[in-house]
Amino acid sequence: MKRTFLGEFEEVVLLVVAACTDDAYGVIIWEQLQEQTGRSITISAVHATLYRLEEKGYLSSQMGGATAERGGRRKRFFTVTALGSRALLEIQEMRQRLWQAIPQGKLQLIG
Amino acid sequence: MFKRRPASLPRDAPPTPRPPGPPRLADRLLNWLVAPHLREDLLGDLHEVYRKQVEEVGPDQARRFYWWQTITYLRPLIIKRKAAQPNEYPPPFLLSPAMIRNYVKIAWRNLVHAKSFSLINGFGLALGLASALLIFVVVHHETSYDQYHKNGDRMYRVETVNVRNSEAHAGTYTEMTAVLRNEVPEIERVVPIYRASGQSLAVPQESKSFKEPIAFTENGLFALLDYEWSSGDARTALLRPNQVVLTESYAQKFFGTTDAVGKTVLLGDDINLSVAGVLKDHPANTNFPFDVLVSLPTLKRISPDYDTHGWGGFGDNYQVYTLLRQGIRPEQLTKRFHGIQVKYQKDPETIKNQHFVLNSLAQLHYGYNFSGRQANVNLLNILSLIGAFVLLIACINFMNLTTAKALRRAKEIGIRKAVGSNRLALIYQFMTEAGLLISIATLLALLLAWVMLPSAANLMGLPLKTSDLFSWQAGAFVVLLVVLTTLLAGTYPAFRLSGMPPIWALKSNKLPQAGGSITFRQGLVVVQFTVSMILISSTLFINRQLSLFKNANLGFNQNAIITVGLPNNDPGKLQTLRSQLVASPQIKDVSFSFNSPSAESNWMQGIQYRNGTDPIEIRTQMKMVDAHFLETYGIQLIAGDAFREGDTLPKFIANEVFLKRLGIDRPEKAIGQMVYFGDSQESAPIIGVVKTFHVNSLHQGIDPTLMQVVPKHFHQAGIKLATENLSAETLNATLSTIETVWKATFPNKVFSYEFLDETLAQAYQNETRTAQLIETATLVAILIACLGLFGLATFAAESRTKEIGVRKVLGASVASIVALLSKDFLKPVLVAMLLAAPIAWYGVSEWLKNFEYKINIDWWVFAVAGAFAIMVALLTVSFQSIRAALMNPVKSLRTE
Repeated sequence: MKRTFLGEFEEVVLLVVAACTDDAYGVIIWEQLQEQTGRSITISAVHATLYRLEEKGYLSSQMGGATAERGGRRKRFFTVTALGSRALLEIQEMRQRLWQAIPQGKLQLIG
Repeated sequence: MFKRRPASLPRDAPPTPRPPGPPRLADRLLNWLVAPHLREDLLGDLHEVYRKQVEEVGPDQARRFYWWQTITYLRPLIIKRKAAQPNEYPPPFLLSPAMIRNYVKIAWRNLVHAKSFSLINGFGLALGLASALLIFVVVHHETSYDQYHKNGDRMYRVETVNVRNSEAHAGTYTEMTAVLRNEVPEIERVVPIYRASGQSLAVPQESKSFKEPIAFTENGLFALLDYEWSSGDARTALLRPNQVVLTESYAQKFFGTTDAVGKTVLLGDDINLSVAGVLKDHPANTNFPFDVLVSLPTLKRISPDYDTHGWGGFGDNYQVYTLLRQGIRPEQLTKRFHGIQVKYQKDPETIKNQHFVLNSLAQLHYGYNFSGRQANVNLLNILSLIGAFVLLIACINFMNLTTAKALRRAKEIGIRKAVGSNRLALIYQFMTEAGLLISIATLLALLLAWVMLPSAANLMGLPLKTSDLFSWQAGAFVVLLVVLTTLLAGTYPAFRLSGMPPIWALKSNKLPQAGGSITFRQGLVVVQFTVSMILISSTLFINRQLSLFKNANLGFNQNAIITVGLPNNDPGKLQTLRSQLVASPQIKDVSFSFNSPSAESNWMQGIQYRNGTDPIEIRTQMKMVDAHFLETYGIQLIAGDAFREGDTLPKFIANEVFLKRLGIDRPEKAIGQMVYFGDSQESAPIIGVVKTFHVNSLHQGIDPTLMQVVPKHFHQAGIKLATENLSAETLNATLSTIETVWKATFPNKVFSYEFLDETLAQAYQNETRTAQLIETATLVAILIACLGLFGLATFAAESRTKEIGVRKVLGASVASIVALLSKDFLKPVLVAMLLAAPIAWYGVSEWLKNFEYKINIDWWVFAVAGAFAIMVALLTVSFQSIRAALMNPVKSLRTE
């Protein structure tokens, strides 16, 4: 079985892309990320992660939608690939399994 | 000038001014940092965020944030370039052989298409290039003298400076050699050179005799200057008396072979010199062009009177050269020289008035030296400036003409751009065109320079050869010129025209801001015509001054007089010579004297008149003459007696200037007055007074002059012919009579003669040369100025085509249009006239200060120069303006 490994930040970025209702591109993803996580993140970190995910094949992108405030530059729209969805599902499944494996009453102690 | 017009604003631009964009520097940094395939969306995102931030937190904070973000992009993933992938549409490579072929082909077609234009433009440039090249060769030659000697940087000449006129004399006292050897340990070698002109040399075995200059020097010279020996030994040559070293060409001349070591040359009547070595011929650019070098002790044998250990006087012929030890600077020796003066010269007056300096080998060519020529630093600077100026103007003209021409090609450029030619390709195209024309012009310039070199060399009096033109330095200079000119002349049209938006080129062909460039062009015309007019008026003035020289009344008759040298002034021999010469019917009279009535080298002496309490001291020119001098040269006696044959007592004949100095108003009063030689007791009476004649060239005033009979100082014979206009045959017959008689009197000597009027004219050789130089410069300047004006006229006619069409349709006559177009060009020429007149006036009056006898600076000469310039300008302009005026308006109006 091919081992899928996603870092925590990568996973969140991937999830944000998947959760976007509109077309997802750098600025939107960055804003969503900050909103959802409540952390302050640099755009460069987002860009780097997006490009890395694309390289790994979890995301794909196409160009389009230039506007004036971007100086006529196009946006790069990201969509989650089949590989990306499977990776997310696998992680979710694994978490599910682990959640179910937790003995009754233990969580209260932690919580 | 090459800046692009700002991009037009979008149509729906908001009414309020936008806040400034994100920091440009940061953007530039990002553009450089971020991998190309990520750049677009990444920067787009950043800009979008920036805009939002500006609205939310204000521009300052937004900018700060932007910078912070920019810095965090410094990570490998962002920077790393994507491995090169073959592009689907690779950018065209604009310098591929096929493209270059195309550029050249199109360039050639364009040149051929406009033959007359290319010819005029190319010729103007070639003229400029050729002038610059010739000037380069001249300046290069003049600055290359003796730059090649191994010890050259340590070699200095001892010069004697007269404090009173701060003039450095090339020569020094003969005793200096020995003194320096004893007193100055900082000097490694001391080498004296005595140069004697016109010595009699003979090779009795081959019965050849010659009259040649000789350098008397010592063996040390061979250590100072680099010589190549073809035979003989540098260590032993010229160590003993009666030794001679020849150059190869002189060995060839004397013996018919270069293998001359051991052979004998006869110096004077009885001194046998043995050849100790043969040198390779010296190069043209040396200040020591010696062909016959004789050991210095020999000098004592031919002129026993010559004081070789004297502090009495010095002449430029005796020069002392020193080789300083390593690391010694000439300034360090100032004290030494002062010490020498105190120890040897003794006389405090002399010590105060004189001192010695060391002049470096590199500087010798700019002062008196043995090469007989000296470079004028000012002239060289002015020449270089003129060269640069001519070249610059030629380049600007070229640029102007090319731009004017290229206007016609606006459509071509538009279409090229519309079908996808990029800017670079257009730039290459224009550069190729300029480069091609410039290369052709350069070839033409080389040809011109090659043809003109002999006359340029003659003009400057330089020994230039064709090989100087094809030296590597000249080659490098030409290559540099071509590259620079191509860049200078090709860049402007290339960048200006290629940068125009295609819509401009296709819609209208008016250059935006043409007004500004017109002013610039007119300024250029003003400059060119100012220069031309200065030169034209200078030429006129110089020629007037020269004709003043030629036609001046010198106070004696210089026509039909032949002068011959006297190798010997034994009275008996002279008497025979005279009686034999006068016996010939073609010869009217003969006079022996020190020099001619007017000569370049003179004998000056202090003379005292002790009439009152204070003696009057007069610096007087002495003329050693015989009893026939006045008669032969037609000098008018106004009081007293002339010298008589057989006079033995010392007597003087004075000129009027001398009397004026004495304070005697009437010539008769002077007769019988006694004058003294300096402060000595020797004296003689004045027996006659002559009407003033020019004893110097017209550069100077007339010296007070005394004539005296001193047979031992007779050096030349003046022979007055019976008639002034002799036919060539009679003249030749007379000359051969003179030669026969002369040869009979002085056997084994070389006979040479000169015509007095020609000798006198030589005094003005410098001015004649300047006149020729200025005339040439004038011609070049006028030609180039006309080309500039022609370019401007073409430009104007070209850009006003439509206006002229409309005017014609509305009824303007051809004459009125020609007047309209020409009028604009007269203005700069008139301005140039106003500028040129005072500058030329100043220059000419400075130049005329060289002469005691000079012309007036008449204003009408400037008017003539101005009228000439205007005429030339009108002729040039009318060619274009008449053509434009005659054009069919239907044609010009249809050009859209």
